[in-house]
Amino acid sequence: MSPSGLRRPNDPPLLILVSLAEGPKHGHALAKDIEDFAGVRLGPGALYGAITRLVERGLIEPLGGDDRRRPYRITPPGSAALAEALADMRRVTRAGQARLGLDLA
Amino acid sequence: MKPANLLRWYPRAWRDRYGGELLALIQDDLSEGRPTLRLRLGVIWGGLRERGHQARHAVRLALKTRTGSYKWFSILWAGLVCASVPGPLTASPPAARGWQAVTLAALLAAIALTGAAVSAAGLTALPALVRFLRAGGWPMIRRRVWWSAGATVVAGGGMTGLAGLAGLALASGPVSPAQLDVSLAYLVGLLMTGLATAVAIGLWATTAAATARYLTLAPRVRAAQLVLSAVIPTAVMAVAATLAIWWSTAQPSFTLLVIALVNLTLASVAAPVRIGQAVRRGRRLRLAASGAAIINPSAQRAHGRHRA
Repeated sequence: MSPSGLRRPNDPPLLILVSLAEGPKHGHALAKDIEDFAGVRLGPGALYGAITRLVERGLIEPLGGDDRRRPYRITPPGSAALAEALADMRRVTRAGQARLGLDLA
Repeated sequence: MKPANLLRWYPRAWRDRYGGELLALIQDDLSEGRPTLRLRLGVIWGGLRERGHQARHAVRLALKTRTGSYKWFSILWAGLVCASVPGPLTASPPAARGWQAVTLAALLAAIALTGAAVSAAGLTALPALVRFLRAGGWPMIRRRVWWSAGATVVAGGGMTGLAGLAGLALASGPVSPAQLDVSLAYLVGLLMTGLATAVAIGLWATTAAATARYLTLAPRVRAAQLVLSAVIPTAVMAVAATLAIWWSTAQPSFTLLVIALVNLTLASVAAPVRIGQAVRRGRRLRLAASGAAIINPSAQRAHGRHRA
């Protein structure tokens, strides 16, 4: 397990970080974006469970605004954790592709 | 179940922070025609996970500090001791002579001391508690009190049932006190009742701590509470040790006697240190409140000698 706690490509925290890497979003916009780029529909319970953990670990932070539509943004440690997790995944992907003889381009 | 009611599955602190946002998201999803049951179950599951996470966090936090682990260890001890007292009392009525009588008197004295310390802690805070309740504070502690009372009823029922069953088994003749002591069913019952009692005591302790945060206590009362909170775990350890000594005399057991004496020695060594620390903290608290804050107590002592 990575130090940031991001493990699998479909982990809600990882999906949230990828979504916020584009820019700040509130809960509903996050769920929509994640469904669009990953094809994963995160329910409100799963989404806010992951948001809570990410805020606790300082990987994302809330921005000011409406209490019911509070946007979140990725923090510098969050960006670093995301980059690290993506690098791990890229290594695994490359190894898998090489062993299958697939195009590495 | 209305969407707002789904938030009840989450801890209060979490609801205060994220409740509005989650509710807005649930309402958005419902208005988009998402499958209601699956969504609701997901929210409920999320709430239970959050409660589990917070409970684990609280336990980790309590065990992290030496004081915290000492406190929870004392609560567990108290639960096991309270649950195990009625059984032996039923199984082997105390003899009125010799070491058994002495150890039984010591056990009762230790229980009385624990009760007196707990009562004193409650009584010193009583005026502040009354003021808090009169100011409409009851709803803020109601849930905790009900949970604690419920756990007490369960633990009390378990204790009464266990003692009753033990008495019945002994009175009807098929089981001797020695057989009862080594019976697996009795041991399991004892452990379950002990844990239930520890949960009840733990809930009351957290209720008291949570209530204390709302109370406005005078510095003198806060200082007294500090000392009493150091005395109570020590008294509990004394009860455990004297109980074990009593058992070791009632059903002669050298091993039990050694364990009890080691326990008593540790409690005797730790008690003066803990109580001394609490007294010093209480004194600093009172001095700080009176406007003469002492940063370094040794400097204050030196100053006192110089003036003398």
